[in-house]
Amino acid sequence: MPADDIAIVGWGQTPSVASTDLTEPQLCLAAVNDALAMANIDRHAIGFTCSGSCDYLSGGPFVFISNLEAAGAWPPISESHVEMDGAWALYEAWVRIQHGDIDFALVYGSGKSSPSDPALLFPQQLDPYYLEPLGLDPASLMGMQARALLDSGTATERDFAAVAARSRRAGAANPKAQTLPNGAGESDLDIDALLAAPYVRAPLRAHDLAPAADGAAAVVLATPAKARELTDHPVFIRGIDHRLEPHQPGVRDLADSPSTRLAAQKAGLGANGGGVGVAELYATSSAQELILRAALGLGPDVSVNPSGGALCSDPVMATGLVRIIEAAQRVADGTTRRAVAHAVNGQVLQHNLVCVLEGER
Amino acid sequence: MTTEKGSASAADEPMVVDDFVALTYHDRLPPETVRFADGLIAGRIIGQRCPQCRRVYVGGKGFCAMCVVVMGPESEIDVADVGVVTGYTIITPVRYYGQTKTEPFVYASVLLDGASSVLGGQEITGIAIDAVREGLRVRAVWKPPEARNYEGHSTRGWGSLAGGIVGFEWTGEPDVPREQYKEFAV
Repeated sequence: MPADDIAIVGWGQTPSVASTDLTEPQLCLAAVNDALAMANIDRHAIGFTCSGSCDYLSGGPFVFISNLEAAGAWPPISESHVEMDGAWALYEAWVRIQHGDIDFALVYGSGKSSPSDPALLFPQQLDPYYLEPLGLDPASLMGMQARALLDSGTATERDFAAVAARSRRAGAANPKAQTLPNGAGESDLDIDALLAAPYVRAPLRAHDLAPAADGAAAVVLATPAKARELTDHPVFIRGIDHRLEPHQPGVRDLADSPSTRLAAQKAGLGANGGGVGVAELYATSSAQELILRAALGLGPDVSVNPSGGALCSDPVMATGLVRIIEAAQRVADGTTRRAVAHAVNGQVLQHNLVCVLEGER
Repeated sequence: MTTEKGSASAADEPMVVDDFVALTYHDRLPPETVRFADGLIAGRIIGQRCPQCRRVYVGGKGFCAMCVVVMGPESEIDVADVGVVTGYTIITPVRYYGQTKTEPFVYASVLLDGASSVLGGQEITGIAIDAVREGLRVRAVWKPPEARNYEGHSTRGWGSLAGGIVGFEWTGEPDVPREQYKEFAV
């Protein structure tokens, strides 16, 4: 049975900041209330709620339960949670709404990375025998991946810097993105100046790596019929799929992303980027953006990460959902008729989600 | 790793690797908690009143979880330091690391006058523990001003009184009829 074209009718996101003193439930509440206001529906019309977050980031036990207060869990609601980026919560809600017995679903993703040190925390995600004891942090893994890409002969360090410069220039115009040092400064946009910066993990420099942030994002999904009642310009999910690679990075070709390619195929993206005008990609390194572009077959005419992407703001556990929001925004405002959003979980592009969005104008 | 005499070759020995994991978190107290904590140091118990349903939360979270609306500084009011026991249990201490109690003690839920949420885990003094009961009128026992501090506040919960109040004591007044607090009885 072909899936119904579920629509995105509302969204909200908090500004991403390096550190906030607001609690995660407060961040969720701001994003959820903005999404409901945009959809122009009462929260009691929501038939299913799904959230994505990770308590390890802030170290608070059962924060995901506290976060539920942002959804208004009284009278009792039907809900679920994934220990994954909010994009996967959207996937679950998309499946749930296909059942045909509810009109609306609410999705949110949230994270506070500021209380912990990602370099110490994320090795715990790796296998506990061979990799975790090494303290192999995400930046080191991304450095190895970038090296693999350079060694494949398809990219140079100058290409990495060009991605970073373009992302920072775009991010400087995004009020939700972090204000990065020299983000809008002309000298920083000069690629030679970027290349003069020291390595953090060779061959990657600070601007090549996504800065972890605190933030939350929320989306309201609707059946096609309800979407047409609410808006003249609904944004439809034409396809969504996610695919997983082995946990052990050593058995993968880190310079390629076959799971992204397969997810795109299953989501119906089509060959050579499938005619999208905009792509929002959750790349946590500049090298990853190049790998994802190749896997999706995006040509030079596609606007990639017009929001600035994760290289400007990485509100971990919400960043993937933010990519879907940013892509939907470009479809809704007529920038493009068709867009693709990508989200990732795990280390160095282990688990990838591809979402194809389309408008009707 | 230990090797016993007469064992098989070293290759057959199990190798044991200790891998101790410690994760450190640095929290920033949310603004509501900072104001609540400063209030206790100043001898005030601050509640947040929902602009929609008018419920008053002591140890406000910055939003009403029932109405899902934001409650900021403009929602804050002083709540009385007297109230009623809405529920309790008597705890018989068992020995474990960090346990300093040796005698049975009371953990009670206290509804302060003017509040719509109870404060859990409050110690009740000034009355024999087997006389503690629902409906008991109690008042806060404040620490001397110089001893008040930020104790007990974290991002892991809301409404700790430990920075300013050591517990509650019986006022000696007649019990409160259950009708007046049954909505909050736990």
